[in-house]
Amino acid sequence: MEFLTGFESFVGVNFWTCLFTLCNLLILYKFMKKLLFKPVKNMIDSRQKEIDDLYADANQSKEAAAELKSRYEARLTEASEEKEAILKEAYRKAQLRDEEMLREAQNKAAQTLRRADEQIAMEKKRAMNDIKDEVSVMAVDIASAVLARDIKKNEHSELIDSFIENLGESHD
Amino acid sequence: MDGVGNGPRVLVEFSFFGLFDVSISQTVLSSFLVMVVLLILSWRLGKGLQKRPTRRQVLVEKGVSILYDLVEDTMGKHNSRFTPFIGALFCSSVCGTLISLFGGVFRSTTADLSTTVTWALIVTVMVWYQNIKQNGFFGWLKGFTEPVAVMTPMNIISEIAQPISMSFRHFGNIAGGGVLTTLIYGALAAGSSLILSWVPNEIIRSIPFLQVGIPAFLSIYFDLFSGFIQALVFCMLTMVYVGAACPPPEETAA
Repeated sequence: MEFLTGFESFVGVNFWTCLFTLCNLLILYKFMKKLLFKPVKNMIDSRQKEIDDLYADANQSKEAAAELKSRYEARLTEASEEKEAILKEAYRKAQLRDEEMLREAQNKAAQTLRRADEQIAMEKKRAMNDIKDEVSVMAVDIASAVLARDIKKNEHSELIDSFIENLGESHD
Repeated sequence: MDGVGNGPRVLVEFSFFGLFDVSISQTVLSSFLVMVVLLILSWRLGKGLQKRPTRRQVLVEKGVSILYDLVEDTMGKHNSRFTPFIGALFCSSVCGTLISLFGGVFRSTTADLSTTVTWALIVTVMVWYQNIKQNGFFGWLKGFTEPVAVMTPMNIISEIAQPISMSFRHFGNIAGGGVLTTLIYGALAAGSSLILSWVPNEIIRSIPFLQVGIPAFLSIYFDLFSGFIQALVFCMLTMVYVGAACPPPEETAA
């Protein structure tokens, strides 16, 4: 192929130059893609992915932590409520017990008082009986002394008893 | 003013086993060099990547992410697989433009219409391939008659105009910059010889002192800025055309 000169060569097209240019560009494309663009792009993408994963992980952990926190807070309020309830219950029980004890004490006191009264009455009765006996003996003695006569103790004691009984009753 | 409007010189011409003649031009040399440099760079930069990046790796990743973001913004997330191609195209374009800064035998690959035409045709073929893959061969042909059948010639013309406009835009900007730079060099030489015309010494009079410094600033625009912008424009257009041929999966399914 004859190469053009002058003006024609300036704006002319040479077949071989075109062919070489085409080959050069295609080779350059293939190798730049293989050597530069693919690895760099892969590196950027994998780094991006790693960063995204890290962020996702961090977000997940954050969410989990927040959830745990809310759960613990709920549990804490629950516990404090429970504590209050227990305290209230204990207070109520103590009060009940208090009242019971008071009532028991009162009962006991009343019982003791009643028993004391009973005892007093019994003592009184016994004393009265003793007095009655003594009085009967004394009466027999006085009567025997007065009558100077041997009255048979057994025959008359019954009579005198009834007398004193009547006396005691009228005294009561 | 030598070299204005000159195309790439043919460096070697040999016969391929007597079947056909192969010509190696300056553009092929530059293009090959750019490819080798970029391959070594991507091999070096893509090696030993770690989860905890080194400073170099951070920069590499930044660049790659910027490219991926750009492609995904322009073409949609489902088309991010085109990123390596766009990256290769962008790097070839920028480095191919900037290689002329080394001077000497190196000529910008993009200042050769052959290069940009090839790239634009690759893009066109990609668009066609994606269209046929999406709609089938007849679906693709039917696409030319839309929205109304009357538009068919317009659609065909726009399809043809697309690679032409793409390639000539890129080529014109870079080559035009080169031509302009050469012209300014000549003008500066003429200006300095005019200013120094009173100097009796022949050697001193021939020093083009204005050429020192001033072209550097022009080079910032014509080589660096224009090189980057044109590479970006070319890649943006590629993304738009190919992206239009690859609609999001939901739309295809519907």
